[in-house]
Amino acid sequence: MPPPVVSSDAILVADDIVVRFATPEGPITAVDNVSFQVRLGEFVSVIGPSGCGKSTLFNVIGGLLSQHDGIVKVAGETISGPHQSIGMVFQEESTFPWRTVTDNVAFPLELIGMPKAKRIERARYFIKMVGLDGFDNRYPGELSGGMRQRVSLARTLASEPKILLMDEPFAALDEQTRLLLGDKVLQIQQQLKQTTLLITHNITEAVQMSDRILVMTYRPGKLKRIVDIDLPRPRTSEIVSSEAFGRYVAQIWNDLREEASRGMLDEEKEVLSGHEGAR
Amino acid sequence: MAETGRLRHAAVAAPLVSPVTLLRIAIVLGVLAVWEFLAHSGWLYRDVVPSLLSIGRALAALLASPNYYFNLGVTAAEIGVALAIGGTAGLAVGILLGANRFLSRAFEPYLYYLGPTPKIIFFPVMIMWFGVGPESKVALGTLSCFFPIALSVAAGMRQIDKVLIRVGKSFRASTWQMVMKIYLPAMRHPIINGVRLGFGFALIGTLLAETKLSNKGIGFLIIQTYSVFDMPGMYAMLIVLFVLAIGANSLIGKLGGLDSIKRK
Amino acid sequence: MTIAVSSAPGLPRSYAAPLVGLVSFIAFVLIVEALLRVGALNRFIIPLPSEIIVSFGRLFLEEHIVHRFLVTAGECLIAGVMVTLCGVTVGVLMQRFKLFQQACETWVAAFASAPLVLTYPLFMVIFGRNAWTIIMMGFLSALPPVILKTIEGISSTRRVLVDVGRSFKLTATQQFWKILFPAALPTIFVGVRLGLIFALINIVGTEFLINFGGLGQLINDLAERYDLAGTYAAICFVILVSIFFFIALEKGERWLRPVD
Repeated sequence: MPPPVVSSDAILVADDIVVRFATPEGPITAVDNVSFQVRLGEFVSVIGPSGCGKSTLFNVIGGLLSQHDGIVKVAGETISGPHQSIGMVFQEESTFPWRTVTDNVAFPLELIGMPKAKRIERARYFIKMVGLDGFDNRYPGELSGGMRQRVSLARTLASEPKILLMDEPFAALDEQTRLLLGDKVLQIQQQLKQTTLLITHNITEAVQMSDRILVMTYRPGKLKRIVDIDLPRPRTSEIVSSEAFGRYVAQIWNDLREEASRGMLDEEKEVLSGHEGAR
Repeated sequence: MAETGRLRHAAVAAPLVSPVTLLRIAIVLGVLAVWEFLAHSGWLYRDVVPSLLSIGRALAALLASPNYYFNLGVTAAEIGVALAIGGTAGLAVGILLGANRFLSRAFEPYLYYLGPTPKIIFFPVMIMWFGVGPESKVALGTLSCFFPIALSVAAGMRQIDKVLIRVGKSFRASTWQMVMKIYLPAMRHPIINGVRLGFGFALIGTLLAETKLSNKGIGFLIIQTYSVFDMPGMYAMLIVLFVLAIGANSLIGKLGGLDSIKRK
Repeated sequence: MTIAVSSAPGLPRSYAAPLVGLVSFIAFVLIVEALLRVGALNRFIIPLPSEIIVSFGRLFLEEHIVHRFLVTAGECLIAGVMVTLCGVTVGVLMQRFKLFQQACETWVAAFASAPLVLTYPLFMVIFGRNAWTIIMMGFLSALPPVILKTIEGISSTRRVLVDVGRSFKLTATQQFWKILFPAALPTIFVGVRLGLIFALINIVGTEFLINFGGLGQLINDLAERYDLAGTYAAICFVILVSIFFFIALEKGERWLRPVD
């Protein structure tokens, strides 16, 4: 890929990211020379097979993994740890079980010392935004998985990040819930004009929500292709039945199939070599 | 898991005429009847099993005696201070060991293997260091409760859902905020259980020390009844002691059990 | 080139950490020795570690510590046998008769948290200042965990194993001895192990308190004679015995249930 020109409204720039891990089997390269930009207000998805390093990339951009080559810049500033302009939504259950929905969502505001009344008001706004109005005083234990992810989302949104960074937030949910939540996220994103970077393995999800899709190869994860999604906005989940949608999905699957097969072959080899070792 | 526990308790706490309650009443009455029989039978040395009436009278006298409450206060204060010091130290050490794998592997085995040892044998050392007053009892109580609390907290730290820590880091919480708003609340169950155990051990340690060498406190009173062979008095004191100990233990447990909805 | 270290399993476990722990402990002892020699710490309340080590010799030769150890061990053995027979039996009966279990299990749990050893003056009245008081203290304090774990073990037998028994039309007694009890053994051993530890702690403690018996009495004796180094040495010896006993029980349990 030719070195990209940094456009003027690029709020997130990842430049030549390389991540290597030391494992008992020797060093492996999880992410290999990945560079891209995200413009203000854009919705970009990073898609790839399991093992392509996308979660590693998520941790690098989120500032939780600092042992890497290359730099990440947010609004021109090189990051060195979690940046206040980046909000992260994790794949696993991450709501605090001992706090109510309101207290969960108000958590980032509490950290910066916002007075209580203002926090609650602000939290309520975002709780409403994700459609959990009325559940303010419930505990996560009383909610369904999808609702809990919405709480996590509201919590991150409450910190009003310039960039929303999400790592497969809907992976644990069933397809219908995922589509509907995808609608919700799209709606919110369009309302807030929120710059979003979504890590996912789900092609439908990526095409449904994104302006651009970055397709990654299997390990070592490189950027294989950038696909511009030219579907009209505003979008809803109804779009999944359109022809253009189907074509994009097919195109991306074409790219991914090869990578995913390599992934499967690798896994099988690992299992077999493990058996050799045991003998 | 919480539901099954609660369900069982619900079944047991059901209307007064439940068979369980009847059985309990029957058992209690049975024991009391056998007791009273033994008391009047003359088979045992006099007053080893005193009549229920004499125990009742001793109990009433005890509960009306300001001297008893004074000593109760002394013991309670000793235990309270022991828990405060031992608890804080245990919490701090536990957090440190739980957070750092290296430190844990280096030092936690010492705590783990020193924990299940008789602490009362340290009492002579405590007396040498702190004198014969309440300080030596507090010291022994502190030593007794430190270990279970430190070990529970260390284990609790390691069991915290890792993603919650990443959430805190992603919001750039300071270390103090991480401890107060994430680590401690996430560990509330191990902490409560550690404190429960710690309370039990501090109670035992302090009381035993009082029976050995003291002129105040419940332990002292108990050993006094022994030396003057006031059996009804001894039974009365033991009964009150057990009621208080069991009550305090379940109170601490309830404090942690309030989270049954939040528990996950 | 920056390399992140993954938390992959199978990384070689270095002995650095336990070594650091051991070295720290030795360093601590050496520092205490040094501080005592220069007078920074009071030699009338803390004996020199070197003196303590020397006292061990005395303990073996003059104080018959081996004999005393055997006395304590004997008391533990008796208490252990009693509590195993009694506790497991009661646990089995309670589990068998559900009403009994529902009525009494919480009582047993309550007694597990009660200061049972505080009844030693009572037992001194009944048995006198002798070994039976000591054994009873060990027995009583060990009873609740054995009972509770026995109940837990039998109750938590996997449903499917019970169904297997029923499919073979086993009688209730056969069901118990061939399925429930064997399946419960691992948990019962955990209970017995807990019980034995409580027994040892309370037996040594009671020996110390009533000044009778084996090791606990030795400590009391030495303390009353103001034999500082001897007292510390005896305490160390008891701690070491405790630790070895604990480790032995752990190894024993692992040997008995290798599957887990």
